[in-house]
Amino acid sequence: MKRGPARGPLSTVVGIVLLALMLFPVYWMVNASLQPAGSVLPSGWFPRHPDFGGYATALRDQRRNLVTSLVVALGSVALSLGLAVPAAYALARLRLRGTTVVLFGLLVTQTVPGIVVANALYGAYTDLGLLNSYGGLILADSTTGVPFAILVLRAFMRSIPGEIIDAARVDGAGRLRVLWSVVLPLSRNALITAGLFTFLFAWGDFLFALTLNTTESVRPVTVGIYEYLGAHTNQWNAVMATAVLASVPAAALLVAAQRHLAAGITGGALK
Amino acid sequence: MRSGSPPVPDGTARVRAVSRTRLWARVSRWLFLLPALVYLSLFFGYPVVKNVVMSFQEYSVATFYTGAAPFVGLRNYTTVLSTDVFWQALLTTVLFTVGSIAGQFVLGLALALFFQRRFPLGGLLRSLLLLPWLLPLVVSGTTWRWMLDTDSGVVNEALRHLHLLSSGIPWLTGTSEALVSVILVNIWVGVPFNTALLYGGLQDIPARYYEAAKLDGAGRLAAFRHVTWPLLRPVAGVVLVLGVVYTVKVLDIILVVTGGGPAGATQTLATRSYELSFQQFEFGRGAAMGNVLVLVSLAFALVHLRADRRARNT
Amino acid sequence: MNSAARPSARRITALLGTVALVLAATGCGGGTGSGSADGKVTSITALDYYTDATEHAQWGERLTACGKAAGVTVEHRSVPGASLVPQVLRQASSRTLPDLLMLDNPDLQQIARTGALTPLDRYGLDAAGYTEGIRSAGTYRGKVYGLAPTVSTVALFYNKDMLAEAGVAVPKTWDELKTAAAELTRPGRYGMAVDANATFEGTWQFLPFLWSNGGDETRLDTPQAAQALQLWVDLVRSGSMSKSVLNWTQADVHDQFVAGKTAMMVNGPWRMTAMNKTKNLHWGVAPLPVRRPGQTLVTPLGGEVWTVPQNSSEARRQKAARVLACLNDSANMLALAEQYHTVPSRSSVAARYAEQVPSMAAFVKSVEGTRSRTGKLGVEWPRAATGIYTAVQAALAGEQTPQEALRHAQRIATGS
Repeated sequence: MKRGPARGPLSTVVGIVLLALMLFPVYWMVNASLQPAGSVLPSGWFPRHPDFGGYATALRDQRRNLVTSLVVALGSVALSLGLAVPAAYALARLRLRGTTVVLFGLLVTQTVPGIVVANALYGAYTDLGLLNSYGGLILADSTTGVPFAILVLRAFMRSIPGEIIDAARVDGAGRLRVLWSVVLPLSRNALITAGLFTFLFAWGDFLFALTLNTTESVRPVTVGIYEYLGAHTNQWNAVMATAVLASVPAAALLVAAQRHLAAGITGGALK
Repeated sequence: MRSGSPPVPDGTARVRAVSRTRLWARVSRWLFLLPALVYLSLFFGYPVVKNVVMSFQEYSVATFYTGAAPFVGLRNYTTVLSTDVFWQALLTTVLFTVGSIAGQFVLGLALALFFQRRFPLGGLLRSLLLLPWLLPLVVSGTTWRWMLDTDSGVVNEALRHLHLLSSGIPWLTGTSEALVSVILVNIWVGVPFNTALLYGGLQDIPARYYEAAKLDGAGRLAAFRHVTWPLLRPVAGVVLVLGVVYTVKVLDIILVVTGGGPAGATQTLATRSYELSFQQFEFGRGAAMGNVLVLVSLAFALVHLRADRRARNT
Repeated sequence: MNSAARPSARRITALLGTVALVLAATGCGGGTGSGSADGKVTSITALDYYTDATEHAQWGERLTACGKAAGVTVEHRSVPGASLVPQVLRQASSRTLPDLLMLDNPDLQQIARTGALTPLDRYGLDAAGYTEGIRSAGTYRGKVYGLAPTVSTVALFYNKDMLAEAGVAVPKTWDELKTAAAELTRPGRYGMAVDANATFEGTWQFLPFLWSNGGDETRLDTPQAAQALQLWVDLVRSGSMSKSVLNWTQADVHDQFVAGKTAMMVNGPWRMTAMNKTKNLHWGVAPLPVRRPGQTLVTPLGGEVWTVPQNSSEARRQKAARVLACLNDSANMLALAEQYHTVPSRSSVAARYAEQVPSMAAFVKSVEGTRSRTGKLGVEWPRAATGIYTAVQAALAGEQTPQEALRHAQRIATGS
């Protein structure tokens, strides 16, 4: 048994209440999305005369942007974890000289405001021809994900008992082998957590998407939402509907991924 | 910053007779780190250096086109630091950060401990907790702004229904309440982050430690103190330091919810820096303000690294 | 990029191992940009902030039509309002500016100052016949850089039913405004609403009160300015205006009005389309009240100017200028004005428009008296604007008296 003792349905009730409190603003957004166009101030606790106009508009305009968001976010997860896993392993277990310096550098990167990075990247991307490309946006969106994933994975990997790794080394496994078949399976939780947030960082990015695209070829939902926020008019019901609609497939993806990986954990936990 | 070589705790890292295989062994370790380092220096090196240089220049809108930006030494820093707005913004930044982090971490840890135990639908509920992170900040921020409206906001309406108060709380229009409000909104944004990371950390604590503690007759509080907390420390440390670093530079939430108002009560170093650069077009001063912000974050980061190193050496 | 920074920047970045990117970023600093020099231009790019789907489409059609007349297709892109100037600056530094650029009129002088725009006289365009406000907003150092097809300003919108029910006449002076607002206030409803946000939008809404009373952005701590600010403070203190105005944008004010939560508001004519769509809303519009009868109403000029950025290709600039001229011809002025309830910026066209659309006559009249925000201070305007909204916020929040707040504003405006 890996987790604490199982508890009954009372916990489920408490959990639902806690979640309802946390997600109330999300409910309020749904409420606002069901208001007819023009009157955006929710007039009651429930949308008495729900108007699905906002959803119709959002579905019509945002489907492509939604796919773009998913592609970019998943690409960023792949890139971030690909770079971060070996780096975190090295920093956690390989006793490199200068680990502290590297860690400090990683933290420095996280203090830099996004706009500073975006301004600089625009110039570089223009010359390198990376504007308006999925690759360019994935690279830029991973600027939060990579350092974040390294720091988080390292923190988790440090708690792996040294004996396990030493045992594998004694058996003659190379470092790459140890990472792949010993450390990674033991770091599933860390991978889920780091992957989850690199996904969310890229998913929520607005600044890079806006800055590094000068055409409409690569346009994630965060930018697409601005279709309804004009200089002179705001269609808040469509904005809210887009946000709600866009979060559904992403949420499904997160739940599915977590469930899948969690199954793996319990399988691998019988050590 | 203490750079150079930190004390390496064990002698195996120092190889005296460097045979070819050993050299390879040494180099190969760095190969694990290399791709990430290359990526990070490409994507952060240039922007950071440029921002530092900019803070020593008189960088105006014209500079963007002409490239002419005379160096002015420390003048941007002295100008920025000598205004009374700066010190107010610094204080607000500290209050905002400390308040947000305390709230996020305590609530996040409580929720993580709650979800640690298995119960029906637990996994689903835990996943749904992340839902706020899927919503763009401009959207959730606007929703909060509506909810916190003094007269027609749903928060005051609920409080009135429950007879907790008769007149509305000026959540966004009172100079002291507004700071509390943006902190509350930021806590709301940050709780899922803290919960998810801390939950992950809790999952990695081997159950046998708890069983051992139980055999020793430790209660739940004692188990938390002697098992959970020490083993969660590395993860908790990262959660806290990243939380601080991310909170110090929060911009969108404040801009959307209060715009820095009322009367500058929610202006932080980040919003001031943005205002200087993109409203008043004083890019040099904006960069200087931004770098002060970076230094504030780094102070926290150094504290974290010291603790981290101590933990590693013991 | 910036030559002064280059040597030291390069040294340090090289140390950090960023040589590749730095070279890429700075190497082409003086590059040629896009566009063919051979004179055969088939398409140009245009950038504006009309992100709203309907508005974007309408402008797209207009640009396409004008492009057709000039023999080019127009690639049209819109970015959110707050991102436009940062985007333009980035593009200026990497020489990738669009061929045709729209700017909010108070930003024009800032961008013209960078040297990134071309004076329009090069293309044989001038501002002859344009109303004074827009001419001065489009001019930097004596040269016209931008022209706006239509302009707008703010006015007093009121709910006819609510006024009738309370037996209140449309206020013409500040005292009448205060009385009317008080009488229109009911539980769950305020008499008056403005945007007193901590942004330039808040400043924009305060200007008609400041200017009409003889206040001036060049000197903020005057009794005239204090009287104007006192009016807003009185409205909030008496409970006829919500304190939430501190947090409301113009869009929020509109939403409050449409939802029946305020009887009167300050807003612009671009809201009319949405208001007309709202069922059971009978609204009227009038010039904003002045302090005492006989004072001339002075309101700020609103509107977006179109400019031709400094790009490498003369042929592209010529094409862009032709499209710009087309957007500003009488037919387009009239069409745009009708579409967005704005006012044509050439006086003669505006007069014709007032005849054709009588409901807009009030706006045509008030636009004649509009003043450009950058007319007096030019590139120094943003500081004064920051001072003004800071003062409004401090006074309405009750932190400072109007006099104190304005003294502080004056210090912000002069950078001391």
